[in-house]
Amino acid sequence: MAYSFPEEVLEHVFSFLSSDRDRNAVSLVCKSWYEIERWCRRRIFIGNCYAVSPDIVIRRFPEVRALEMKGKPHFADFNLVPEGWGGYVHPWIRAMSAAYPLLEEIKLKRMVVTDESLELIARSFKNFKVLVLSSCEGFTTDGLASIAANCRNLRELDLRESEVEDLSGHWLSHFPDNCTSLVSLNMSCLGSEVSFSALERLVARCPNLRTLRLNRAVPLEKLPNLLHRAPQLVELGTGAYSAEIRSDIFSNLTEAFSVCKQLKGLSGFWDAIPAFLPAMYSVCSGITSLNLSYATIQSPDLVKLVSQCRNLQRLWVLDYIEDTGLEALAASCKDLQELRVFPSDPFGAEPNVALTEQGLVSVSEGCPKLQSVLYFCRQMSNAALVTIARNRPEMIRFRLCIIEPQAPDYLTLEPLDTGFGAIVENCKELRRLSMSGLLTDKVFEYIGNHAKKLEMLSIAFAGDSDLGLHHVLSGCESLRKLEIRDCPFGDKALLANAAKLETMRSLWMSSCSVSFGACKLLGQKMPRLNVEVIDERGPPDSRPESCPVEKLYVYRTVAGRRADMPGFVWKMDGDKALSADGSGNKPREVVERLGSSYAINFCTWLSYSLQSVPNTDARIITCMGQRNLFC
Amino acid sequence: MELQLELALSSSSARGSDPNQDCERRRKRSFDAAFLGIMGSVGAPQTSPLLIWDDKEQINGELHDQKRIYDLATSNRNGRVEDDVLVGWPPVKSWRKQFRHHSRRDCATNYVDVENGSGGGGGGRGLNSMYVKVKMEGVGIGRKVDLSIHRSYQTLIAKLIAMFGKFEDNAETYKLTYQDMEGDWLLAGDMPWETFVHSAQRLKLQKNGY
Repeated sequence: MAYSFPEEVLEHVFSFLSSDRDRNAVSLVCKSWYEIERWCRRRIFIGNCYAVSPDIVIRRFPEVRALEMKGKPHFADFNLVPEGWGGYVHPWIRAMSAAYPLLEEIKLKRMVVTDESLELIARSFKNFKVLVLSSCEGFTTDGLASIAANCRNLRELDLRESEVEDLSGHWLSHFPDNCTSLVSLNMSCLGSEVSFSALERLVARCPNLRTLRLNRAVPLEKLPNLLHRAPQLVELGTGAYSAEIRSDIFSNLTEAFSVCKQLKGLSGFWDAIPAFLPAMYSVCSGITSLNLSYATIQSPDLVKLVSQCRNLQRLWVLDYIEDTGLEALAASCKDLQELRVFPSDPFGAEPNVALTEQGLVSVSEGCPKLQSVLYFCRQMSNAALVTIARNRPEMIRFRLCIIEPQAPDYLTLEPLDTGFGAIVENCKELRRLSMSGLLTDKVFEYIGNHAKKLEMLSIAFAGDSDLGLHHVLSGCESLRKLEIRDCPFGDKALLANAAKLETMRSLWMSSCSVSFGACKLLGQKMPRLNVEVIDERGPPDSRPESCPVEKLYVYRTVAGRRADMPGFVWKMDGDKALSADGSGNKPREVVERLGSSYAINFCTWLSYSLQSVPNTDARIITCMGQRNLFC
Repeated sequence: MELQLELALSSSSARGSDPNQDCERRRKRSFDAAFLGIMGSVGAPQTSPLLIWDDKEQINGELHDQKRIYDLATSNRNGRVEDDVLVGWPPVKSWRKQFRHHSRRDCATNYVDVENGSGGGGGGRGLNSMYVKVKMEGVGIGRKVDLSIHRSYQTLIAKLIAMFGKFEDNAETYKLTYQDMEGDWLLAGDMPWETFVHSAQRLKLQKNGY
C-alpha cells in the first residue's frame, strides 16, 4: 500500500501534521513511512535536554529547522537547584552548527547559554529567525550584540525572564540599518539603558513589528515616540510607567495610545503612577492580556483600569488588588480565562493587604471561562475550595500558594484535604496542580483516585507517610512531572513504583526522606533512568546508606549518564554492562540487542513500548527502538 | 515491617490491584527473566517494581517510623538557616521579589508627589521611614528599627545594642546579619550603607561562632 504513493506525495501529506504525537504515530506504521517522516520532520521539542543526546536527534532527524528545549528542573526558579547543576546548551549548538545549517529557530527554557553559544548561532545559521530564551542565564549583552549584528533575517528576539549580565545597552545599536525583519523584541529583563535613537530607528524600519517589550530604563516620556512609529503593535511592554506629573506628558501619552488600534496585550508598568493610567483607557476595550504584576498600584486605581477591559482574558496582578478589586474584576471581565495574583510582600508574616480566599471565590463565581489560576494568599478554607471547584469544573491549571507552610483551614483548623479533594474530583480536565497548606495522606488518595488527566503536580510540606506518594504514583495515569519538597516521603513508595518513573519526564524530591541506599537500588535496577543525587554535604557514600539524600532528580533518558555533572551531583550507577558513558552508546546497544532478538515479535515490542512510554517527549525514545527492528 | 525488595513481574501493581495475591506467584522470577520475559506476553507493559507495596502493613505500622526518619532528616538539612527562613519559599522568582520591594518605597514617594503637586518629598517622614524587624539570638521578643534615620553601620549597631539593653557588655560577641530581597541571609557590612538600607528586609543579631 505504501508503494502506491510516491514519497513526495506522502511527504506532502505529512507536512500537515504538526503535532509530535501524530508524527510519532505515523513513523510507526512501517519502515518507509518512518523514513519519509524522519526526513521531513522540521520541528523538535525536547522537554528535558538530558533525555536524549544531540547525536541521537541529528542521526534520526537530519532536516530540522526548529528546536525547542528545556533544561533545569522547575524548582530551579526558586533557588533549589545549586549553581552549576547543568543545562548547558553549547554541546547542542556545536552539534547543530554542523548538522543543521538551515536551522531557523531556537527556543530554550531554563538553560545555560553562553556568549560563545550566541556567537556560534550568529555565525552558523544563515537563515536564523527566532531566538527565545526563557529563564535562561550565562550570557551577556555582548552575546546579544552578535545576534543583532549577524542574523540578517531575525524575526524574534525574546529574552523573557532571563538573567543577562548587562554590560551596556550598546548591543541594540548592532542591528544593521538594513534589518527590517523584526516581528518581536522582548528586552524587558535587561537593566541598562539602550540608545533611544537606535531603538526608535529600529522600530521605525520594522513594519512587521507586533511585539515590543521595553525594559525599565526606557522612560515614559519617550514612549509616545515609539508608539507613533509602531501603531500596528499588538503587544506592548512599557518601560517605567512614572514621570513628572505634567499635562504635556499625559496628553502625548494619551494621543499615542489612541493611535494603536491593534493593541491586545500590555505589560511592564514598573513604578506605575496611577495618574498616568487613564492615558491608556482608549485601548482598554481591545485588551485581552494585562500584566500588572510589577505595578504597585492600589486597589481603587486597579479597579478603575480593569473595569475598562471588558474583553480581558488574562490578568497578572499583585495582591494590592485585594478582595474588593477581584470582585470588581469578576463583575466586569466575563471572558477572563487566566488569573495570577502575586504577593507584594512574600516574606512578611502578617498580611499587608486585604486579600483572602474570598477574592478567588468571587472570580470563580463571576468568570465562567476561568480555567487557569495562580494565587498567593495567607488564608484558605475547605469551604472556599469546594465552592471554587463546584463553580469551575472546567479548570485546567490550579496553583495555590498559602504563604505560611502547613497552614490549616483557618475556619475549622482542619487540613485542606477536603478542599483540594473537591478540586480534583470536580475538575476532571485538571492538568496542573500546585498545593499548599496543611495536607495529610488523604489528599493524595483523592488525587490518585480522581486526577486522571493530571500531568504536573507540585507538593510542599505535605503528607504523613509514603502512602501519600504511593497514591500519586500509582493513581495518576497521565503524570509527567512530579516535584516534591519537604515531605515525609521515603523509600518504599518510590521503589514500589519504580516502573512509573519511566512513564514520566522527571521526578524531583528535595528535603524528603529518600535514603542513599534506595537511590542506589533505583539507579542499579532502572537503566533507562538517570537517578541523580544532589548533595552539597559531600559524597553520599561518606554517610550511612540509610541517610536521606538532600535532593534527588530522576528522569528517563536514552542518552545515559551525562558528562557534565558538577561535583555535588552523583549518578546512581547500575550494572557495569548497562551503565553508560556520556556518548550514550551503551543503552542503545541494549535496545538494539533486544530489538534484533525479538524481531519476530515486533508487534509485541510495539505494544510494550507504546504502553510504557506514552508521552510526547519519550516517543522519540520509543522510535529509536523501532528503528532497529526494521533493519 | 520487612522490606520486600524483590524483582517480580507485575503487570498490575501500577494499576492499583492487590499486589499481595500476585506476590507469591512471582517470587521465583529472576530479574532477567522478568525483564526479557515481557517480550513474550502481550499486554504486560511495565518493568518490575523494586518493592511490593503491601497496603495493610504500610497504612498501619509506618506512620510513626516515617515521621521519625523525617525528623532526623530535617536536622541534617542544608539551606534551613533558622525556623522562619526557608530556601525557595514562598515560590516566587527572585526578580519578582526585587522589583516589588524597590517599587514599594518609590511608590510611597511618588504618591506623596502627586498629592502635593510638587516635586518635593514634603509628605512627611512617615512615608519614607524604613522600619525593619530585628531579632536577637536567644531573645524571644523582637523589635523594630527605622533604618532611614541612621547614616552608618556604627550608629545602627549602637542603637541595636541599646535596644537589647542587657547585652551591652557582650557587644563584641554578636554580629549583625540581614535578610536581602532574595531571601538570603548575609553578614552586614560588606555593602555601602545606602545599598544595605535598600536591600535589608529584616535584621538579626547572631552570636559569633554560629
